[in-house]
Amino acid sequence: MKIRKIGLALAFSPRMEAMMAEATRLLHAYQAQLLLVHVGKETPEAKNQLQTLLAKSQLELSQVKILWKEGDPADCILSACKEEQVDLLIAGALKKEQFMKYYLGTIARKILRKANCSVLMLIDPSVERKGFQQIVANAEDSAYVEDALAAACDIGMKENAQWLHIVREVKLLGLTMSALDDCSEEEHNQLRNGLMRTEIENVEKILTKIPHAGLKVNIKLLSGKSGYELSQFAQRKRADLLVVGASPRKFWFFDRVFTHDLEYIFQDLPCNLLVIHPGHRKEALHG
Amino acid sequence: MVRLAHADVVQLLMQLGIMLIAGRALAEAARKFGQPAVIGEIIAGVLLGPTILGMIEPAWFESLFPTQGGAGIVLSGIVQVSVVMLLFIAGLEVDLHIVWQQGKQAIATSFMGLIIPFAFGFVFPYFFPEFFGIANNQDRIVFALFMGTAMAISALPVIVRILMDLNMFKSRMGMLVVASAMVDDVIGWMIFSVILGMIGKGSNMPLWNTILLTAGFTAFMLTIGRGMLNRVLPWVNKKMAWPGGVLSLSLALCFLAAAFTEYIGIHAIFGAFIMGVALGDSEHFSERAKEIVHQFINNIFAPLFFVSIGLRVNFITNFDLILTLIIIFIAFAGKIAGAGLGTRLGGFSWKESLAAGFGMNARGAMEIILGLIALENGLINEKVFVSLVIMALVTSMTSGPLMKWSLSRNWTK
Repeated sequence: MKIRKIGLALAFSPRMEAMMAEATRLLHAYQAQLLLVHVGKETPEAKNQLQTLLAKSQLELSQVKILWKEGDPADCILSACKEEQVDLLIAGALKKEQFMKYYLGTIARKILRKANCSVLMLIDPSVERKGFQQIVANAEDSAYVEDALAAACDIGMKENAQWLHIVREVKLLGLTMSALDDCSEEEHNQLRNGLMRTEIENVEKILTKIPHAGLKVNIKLLSGKSGYELSQFAQRKRADLLVVGASPRKFWFFDRVFTHDLEYIFQDLPCNLLVIHPGHRKEALHG
Repeated sequence: MVRLAHADVVQLLMQLGIMLIAGRALAEAARKFGQPAVIGEIIAGVLLGPTILGMIEPAWFESLFPTQGGAGIVLSGIVQVSVVMLLFIAGLEVDLHIVWQQGKQAIATSFMGLIIPFAFGFVFPYFFPEFFGIANNQDRIVFALFMGTAMAISALPVIVRILMDLNMFKSRMGMLVVASAMVDDVIGWMIFSVILGMIGKGSNMPLWNTILLTAGFTAFMLTIGRGMLNRVLPWVNKKMAWPGGVLSLSLALCFLAAAFTEYIGIHAIFGAFIMGVALGDSEHFSERAKEIVHQFINNIFAPLFFVSIGLRVNFITNFDLILTLIIIFIAFAGKIAGAGLGTRLGGFSWKESLAAGFGMNARGAMEIILGLIALENGLINEKVFVSLVIMALVTSMTSGPLMKWSLSRNWTK
């Protein structure tokens, strides 16, 4: 995963220091530049607060660019990331949103749905280094599946993670529909095992292209609603990072009413979430 | 409660036993030839019914399956309940999740796959009603609408089976075809409900009222109803015995929804179908629970229903070769052109689009259920019904080989 510029959406909240500490750690790990985006008026008090924060983080001013924006917070942050060609945006989210907020929308949700770059949504940022020990990555077929797995492996190796769980969906519904009436038990088991084997091979095929030496990898097949099962699995494993590829299309109202895939995860973040979107780099590559 | 006479009880149990054994035996024979179980079950009914047994030994047939008496009425009730349950599992098979995943592309593909076969099915009966046995001009439009729907509907399990055989189920094309077939089925059953409302069996509602109720019930069940199920199911899964709790609850909800739609004047099957869609879409209704409901209904009630088809109709006296060929032609032409064009618009090659057209051409069990309800409601005659059943079997048997052939063939000169 190549990260040259990291964006941090900064609000003067009690978690500000922790968010800054997390961003600084990533900055050092990837030798990247930092873009701080604050939505609000550029007042002397705000500037002072920011200066203090930067001093605490021991960051060189040459590594940091500060943008003051006014307007809709999500739109301002997203447009700043686009203009500045940010590779990874870090933002904070509350673990569980209120029912009404779910329908009215929140800044975090809007950022997750509309960002044109990768987004790291931290639910519990900390000043002290915690690291990512249990990483779960989604290997479901999508436009950015290879990017997501590459990012997960890269972070896993950098953080010396205990486990990288790679999750892929197996559609047992198809088997139920098509094989139950027309198969003997043995044929059914063969079909089921064949289906499982194929899915594991599909993951292994992707992994051959990605460096992951020394990383303990567990390939897990899940059946059911993919996003929901992925979220449940991350909770069961007490994961501290879930890595998924961004949806190739932007979600809208219907996707919220008829929840699917990433929407299940956005609805109730099981842990820190990294949504991989190669964004402008991929677009530049593809002309 | 009225009780069956001793002789009726014996007769009913004999009927059920013989139907299940004959259905299973011929389903196994069909399986040996690589064909779906439903083909064997229908043949079992034909052998036990007026077509073969009734012709060779009319007395045996009469004593085994009498049209009068308590056993016959109860059997007819069991078959009716079987249809409701079959539609319920057809609803469970609709995975809206896959439809939303495919997004607008699925809508576009399914629209073509629906509208073109519907137009083919509508136009021929509308302009040549006498050929299809429609004498009354007023019935012409309803009959034409029914034929349009019959041509538009598809057999999801057959399509999934073919895609799995070809190892294409999880491919981009496979998911698009499956999602489109699901959308077509939901819309198809909605149209069919409206048609049944138009012929006014059991209610004298104006047409707009039927349309409003059908759309309203669907919208309610897929939003608020689904939300309520999502709240109840975790409690059921946690507190009740498994799988007893979820099995009882799901079938109870199926029957209640069926009773509700029948009561408000849209057919019972529609309530069962939409309840299946809503329940199946819940993330708390596990794949394992679906499998159990599937097994329970598909291995007990589905054979009873399909064997009963052959018991009702004489397939020899009601067989009309020309009518059957015309219906098969309309079915093939409409679906292959519509679904093929829809898939092509989805960005696939002509070769893949043709394969998708062949795949979605399978009508299977759903067509037979649709036909039987139409027959019971006086919408079609027995000749059209027999032709529809044969069309359903032919399309189901040929779609797999045709799909394989079109994918393996080199189309460039």
